[in-house]
Amino acid sequence: MPPLLEAKELTKHYGATIALESVNFQVDQGITGLLGPNGAGKSTAIKLFLGLLKPTSGSAEVMGQKPYELVESRERLGYMPEHDCLPTAMTSSEFLTHMAQVSGLPPAHARTRAADVLRHVGLAEERYRSIGEYSTGMKQRVKLAQALVHDPVLVLLDEPTAGLDPGGREEMLALIRRISRDFGISILLSSHLMGDVESVCDRIVVLEGGHVIEEGAVSRFTQETQTLFIDVDENRDKLIEALAKRGIEATVDGPSLVVNRESDEQYDAIRDALVEADAPLRRMAPGRHGLTDIFRKPPT
Amino acid sequence: MRARKAIWINGVRAALGLGRGWPSKVMPVLLFIAVITPAVVISIVASQIGLDDLDLPGHAGYYSMVSVVLILFAAIIAPELLCSDRRNRVIDLYLVRPLTTTDYIAGRWLAFFSVTLALVYIGQIVLLIGLVLASDDPLQHLQDNWLDIPRFLGAGVIVAIFITTVPMAVSAFTTRRAYAAAFVIGLFIISFPISAGLTECVETERTTARGTSAQCERPTGDAAKWFTLIDFAQVPAQVNSLIFEESSEPDTVKLGRELNSGIRIGWYALLTIGPGLVLWWRYRGITV
Repeated sequence: MPPLLEAKELTKHYGATIALESVNFQVDQGITGLLGPNGAGKSTAIKLFLGLLKPTSGSAEVMGQKPYELVESRERLGYMPEHDCLPTAMTSSEFLTHMAQVSGLPPAHARTRAADVLRHVGLAEERYRSIGEYSTGMKQRVKLAQALVHDPVLVLLDEPTAGLDPGGREEMLALIRRISRDFGISILLSSHLMGDVESVCDRIVVLEGGHVIEEGAVSRFTQETQTLFIDVDENRDKLIEALAKRGIEATVDGPSLVVNRESDEQYDAIRDALVEADAPLRRMAPGRHGLTDIFRKPPT
Repeated sequence: MRARKAIWINGVRAALGLGRGWPSKVMPVLLFIAVITPAVVISIVASQIGLDDLDLPGHAGYYSMVSVVLILFAAIIAPELLCSDRRNRVIDLYLVRPLTTTDYIAGRWLAFFSVTLALVYIGQIVLLIGLVLASDDPLQHLQDNWLDIPRFLGAGVIVAIFITTVPMAVSAFTTRRAYAAAFVIGLFIISFPISAGLTECVETERTTARGTSAQCERPTGDAAKWFTLIDFAQVPAQVNSLIFEESSEPDTVKLGRELNSGIRIGWYALLTIGPGLVLWWRYRGITV
């Protein structure tokens, strides 16, 4: 069975500008993050998979088919753009029913699917209101709903949390997790927000300057580091002194003390130092790499 | 197929304001009423006074009579089908579905064509019913004038194609409905006085050995018949005058009859196929 998406030596040039250069990667089931700074080639890659652009060379395949040659292959894809794309005069119910029909569903089935999807994204009560009256968060949900309404195999989400407040962002990310878990719809999430990608994705593909610079499971990029974070409620300076007496050098990083992990015996020394400094321990945990570290690596 | 049908149905609903708030319905309803009103008035007058006592406009003159309303309808409503989708960027969602830009634009064109065809036919059907009922012998009237039915059906298609294609081609160049509507109305309004000014008949008296006679002189002389083509609003009427063999038509159309029928048909074809190709070309190059 072919992968959901596959880029093979995918190259796209806009005149003299290189958007993607001989890129190879695959997207399989689950949630995959397409990560990269602005201009990395994320949007170009999405447009190539949607069949909106023709590659300069190589191929962008959707379940083994080339979408720019066969528009029917888009029936199995959903797409949520970053920008506004909703008709303000229509109700979300009518709009979703229409979009389901445009995706090939018969009218009666389209109405049922529209109602179901609007309920899943939490807009059941507001479905007969004009979209123009919706808040930003509600509009984002309608955008997500239209991408799901025809029950696609894979959904491409372009910056789905753009413009949302922290609460709305968390709700959107939870919704994305639920879509993948409960409905088995695979997701390609394009974002420049590391936190979003780290919290919902199983795998990532990192683009920079039109090249794939990293690819793999998110857990590979968020492994434990050789550092230990210690948070105490009080007597932090005394703790630093007590650790130093035991040969452990601690540095301050925000509210935490950071020490290098060297051996398991070190934990006993830390425990003794905490007792000596009379510092109540709130948290002690190993440090973890973050996805931001990918972009901090020196160029090779 | 379902996708294309959905685009067509949605276009019809958008043109008529269905599924939208009441402000979207006001203009289509008013323009529908404006198209039907002359047919209703003619029918009432015919029923009260009698068909033979008055020289009432028939099916041939009806399209010319309501051409201004038809142009207003097309100019105001056609941009609703295209400009809004591009302004709100809903078109981006269409083009990532199993549709090509050609499918989209063909669906939209067909939707507006269906609405305009219904509009032009409704007036003619009301007129037909009115004239039949107003006659002393409805069956005899129908037998004598049955050819009017295929004629007005054919002429309706000619009118609907023209008033669909031109405003839609204009709408493809702007995301603002008002700009598109103003341009289309301006195009038709300006073309009329220019054509009329160049083809106007100025009567002069000419004295010869046989006496004094009135003579029609036009500013552009013998070339005047060519300038009738500039009156865009009457372009379909130039073709329809070939279908209806009556003379209840505006002066520009009467003068235009002097032109070869091939020229009139060719001009109509140029002004419909040309904008049609422009419309297709504009959307072919659209990117999300």
